[in-house]
Amino acid sequence: MERLRELIRYRELVRNLVARDLKARYKSSVLGFLWCLVNPLLMMAVFTVVFTVLMPNDIEKFPVFILCALLPWNLFSSTVMGSVGSIVDNAHLIKKVYFPREVLPISTVLSNLVNFLLALVVLFAVLFAFRVRLTPWALLLPALILIQVIFTLGLSLILSTLNVFYRDTGIIMETVMLAWFFLTPIFYRMEDLVPRYARLMYWVNPMASIISSYRVILYSGASPALDFLARTFVTALAFLVAGYLFFGRYSRVFGEEV
Amino acid sequence: MATALGFEKVSKRFIIHHQRPRSFQELTVGFFKRNNASREELWALRDVSFAVERGQTLGIIGPNGSGKSTSLKLITRILEPTSGGIAVNGKVSALIELGAGFHPDLTGRDNVFLNGSILGMGRREMKQKFDEIVEFTELGRFIDMPLKHYSSGMQMRLGFAIATSVDPDILLIDEVLAVGDEAFQRKCLRRIGDFRRRGKTIVFVSHGLDVVRELCSEVIWLDGGVVRGRGGADEVIAQYLRDIGEEASLEQAIQSEEAEQMAAVEEEVGQAVEEPPAEAAPQPPSRWGSREVEITRVEFLDGRGNPCDTFRTGERMLARVHYVAHQRIERPVFGVAIYRSDGIHVSGPNTKASDYEIDYLEGEGSIDYIVEPLPLLEGEYQFSAAVYDYPCTRPYDHHERMYSFEVRQGRVKDAYGVFYIPCEWRLRRGN
Repeated sequence: MERLRELIRYRELVRNLVARDLKARYKSSVLGFLWCLVNPLLMMAVFTVVFTVLMPNDIEKFPVFILCALLPWNLFSSTVMGSVGSIVDNAHLIKKVYFPREVLPISTVLSNLVNFLLALVVLFAVLFAFRVRLTPWALLLPALILIQVIFTLGLSLILSTLNVFYRDTGIIMETVMLAWFFLTPIFYRMEDLVPRYARLMYWVNPMASIISSYRVILYSGASPALDFLARTFVTALAFLVAGYLFFGRYSRVFGEEV
Repeated sequence: MATALGFEKVSKRFIIHHQRPRSFQELTVGFFKRNNASREELWALRDVSFAVERGQTLGIIGPNGSGKSTSLKLITRILEPTSGGIAVNGKVSALIELGAGFHPDLTGRDNVFLNGSILGMGRREMKQKFDEIVEFTELGRFIDMPLKHYSSGMQMRLGFAIATSVDPDILLIDEVLAVGDEAFQRKCLRRIGDFRRRGKTIVFVSHGLDVVRELCSEVIWLDGGVVRGRGGADEVIAQYLRDIGEEASLEQAIQSEEAEQMAAVEEEVGQAVEEPPAEAAPQPPSRWGSREVEITRVEFLDGRGNPCDTFRTGERMLARVHYVAHQRIERPVFGVAIYRSDGIHVSGPNTKASDYEIDYLEGEGSIDYIVEPLPLLEGEYQFSAAVYDYPCTRPYDHHERMYSFEVRQGRVKDAYGVFYIPCEWRLRRGN
């Protein structure tokens, strides 16, 4: 509790770090922040060319299909890769000033979230362009985003701590994230899998349930599997609590280990 | 009085891994090799206990690696103690690393807000303090320029201003005063003085013993992670100096910094420190000080007022120290010192010790040091002249052994020793 109260006292630092992150990301490029709009469109185009021209399939409105999954996935992977090194990269700060260390991964998560929210504008534009009719189920979107952020934050806290003690966590994670990308229904449907594996995937991969829920509520306009979603939420919370405790236990020695 | 800060049997151990497995591969290989020889323990602090009352200014002194900085880092919670407890009552601000987290691409203004938030301040609080901070730094319009165009001095000033604007209950200071120009240092000292007057608690870590003596009521002397001494500043510093003095004579190597400090201390105290002849060796001339007042030259004049550099025992000697004060200086203290050419410190008087109070200096002038009759015996002598602030802790200008004069035999026929001490002889025969 004490730690949480302290964290709230440092909210201004979180805000400044997020702002610094965003400024730094777009400052030196010509298109600036437009990139967070253009980039998803370009990726959508690449996937569409590959999976409709080179490897045709029977998925309707493929650009919408892919974008609904790709954006949340990008949020996840860029957050994880960004926060793995968030402690080590800020060693100069950690050795010199005290502040609640969780501020660092939290601000990485939040700055990526801001990026994602901006990119949602593109998603809705594409939904509109392809005449996808939104249903009230789309109102579940904030809840979905929340579940994803909780899960990602929990994972980030664990990975950023591990990286302090074993610096190759970051390198391993690159491969892990690639595998994770293929093992999550992003450019394919869950139904395309052998049913046995599909069920396994739902069980062990919270991202599979989160990503397909995005697609169900936006692309299909249907009800997501609420029981699965509820379980994913519990899993995400468990990750956050575990991550927070793990981080809290080891962040005391960050000052001498980074 | 309430305790602001308490150390209760605090120990801090660092584990130095000469070949720390930083990757899984090394870890696996190390597991099979069973190689634990590369681990070394280092106790930076061992069972250190002390308490600081609210409003007290505590100094921590000791050689490098004695655990001074570790203590401060424990107080700020950058490090956690291995065992023992630390109680901190109040808000802490540390002048340890000024401007930690400064971002070179952001403007001074943005950095003020970023740095302030790193120190735990809210946005509204920072807005209130912003003008005061800018005023203190004297940066003016530079505040809206990217930090990378600032000089290091400007960055220092900004960092100091932010760190002290936190309005802490406990202020930790680590050697920061060693950086920045003299004018800035004085400004910092003044602000630290303000804190003290307002009843804040200050913990001050420094090698600069004169500053410690000036600021601190109580001093802790750390050596190798344990408390070697604790008590009044003068007493503990004297103990410490004696200790490093002994060590130095053992090793036959005094670090120049310490030597300078010792020389300065002698001058400040205004008394000759007894030096055994073995240690009294001629030293090269040197000069230091903050130069608000400068000593421009020293003239030696004989009894008729003519310049000369040779005197006779028993005659009048006058040393005229010319100065120029670049600003009004309140209550300065002038001092001189005479050394024989073999290094013996013959005398070291100053105006304060002689109860000759000078209320202020302004512009150019001179002060005469007159000795009549001159008691020195034949020989060559070196002469130092210095001007200090009233507590004799801050040298404005110190000319150490930069001048010399000669003494020849006069009417007095004495030839052995240093002084002619007027005396009578009385002989009795019988009983």
